[in-house]
Amino acid sequence: MAERTLADQLGGYLPEGIEALDEDEKQDLADSLHDARRRQSKHLAQAGEEALRYVPALLRGAVRKAVGL
Amino acid sequence: MTAGNFAARAEILKLARVLGVEPENLDYLERVDEDDLRAFREQVTDTLFDANLVVLQRMALASRLLPGAVLAKIAERVFGPMLCARIAGLVDVNRGIDVAKRLSPRFLAEVAAELDPRRASAIIARIPLDTVVEVARELTRREDWITLGRFVGHLPDATVQRSLEVVGDADLLRIAFVLDDKSRIDHVVALLPAGRLTKVLRATVDDEDLWDPALDLITHLNDARLDTVLALVDELPAGLRERVQATIR
Repeated sequence: MAERTLADQLGGYLPEGIEALDEDEKQDLADSLHDARRRQSKHLAQAGEEALRYVPALLRGAVRKAVGL
Repeated sequence: MTAGNFAARAEILKLARVLGVEPENLDYLERVDEDDLRAFREQVTDTLFDANLVVLQRMALASRLLPGAVLAKIAERVFGPMLCARIAGLVDVNRGIDVAKRLSPRFLAEVAAELDPRRASAIIARIPLDTVVEVARELTRREDWITLGRFVGHLPDATVQRSLEVVGDADLLRIAFVLDDKSRIDHVVALLPAGRLTKVLRATVDDEDLWDPALDLITHLNDARLDTVLALVDELPAGLRERVQATIR
C-alpha cells in the first residue's frame, strides 16, 4: 500500500478525468507510481556501485567524490 | 475502436511503459478522456524523472571525467535503458552524442522507448542521421509505433525523411495515428516523396484496421494534400470511400 495518495505524489493536482476515478483505481495508480519510484531508487543505488567497477582505477577516487559515494 | 478510443489506448500504453506495469492492468483508464490521460502521463513522467534528480545530476557531472568508450560500456552493461533515459537530458550534449554513437541501435531503441523526448531534445536532434535510421529500423521491427511517433517532433526534417524510408506504408499510418503532436502530420506527409501518400492510403485496401488511422491522417491534411486523396478515392474500399468522402466534403 502506498503511503501517500496519488494527488500527494503528483503535487496535489489531478486532471479531472483521473480525479473522477473510483478510489480503489486511484489507489492502484498511487501504488504503481510508488513502486516505480522505489524500483528506480534501488536500481540507481545498485548502478552507482556497479559502474565503479568499469571506471579506470586512477579515476575511481575522483568519480566517487563527484557522485558523492 | 474510434479515433478517440485509439488515442486513449495509445496514452495508456505510454503510461504503462512509464510506470513499468502491464497495460492490461490499467484497462479502467479507457473511460478517461485522452487529454486528461496525456496530462496525467506527463505528470507521472515528470515525477519519476525528477525523483533522484540530485543523484542523477551528480552522475551526469561525474560522466565528464570518463572517456566516451567507458561511459558507453557502463551505459549498456550497468545502467540499462531506464537509467540512461533518465540521465540523457542531464549530460553535456556533446558527451551524450559521443556516447550515443557508440551504442548499438538495439540498445538505443530500448533507451528511446524509456526517454522523455521533451527533456533530451538537444541530444536527439544531433544524433547522426545514420544512427537514427538504424534505430527507426529497429523500432519498426519491434512494431513500437508509439516510440517512433514520439520522436517525430524532435528530429530535423532530413532525418525524419530518411527514417520514413525504412518504415512500411501501412506502418506509416499506424505511427501517424499515435503521433504525440498531430499538428505535425501534414508537415511530415509533405516530406514524403511523390507517390508515397498514394501508396500509404492504398495500404487500407487489404486491412480494415487501417481505416481509422487513414481517416485520422486525412483529417490532418491541408488542401494541397487532399487533392492526392481525392485522386485515388475511387480505389478505396467502398466502406472507407464513403467515410473519406464525408470527411473531406
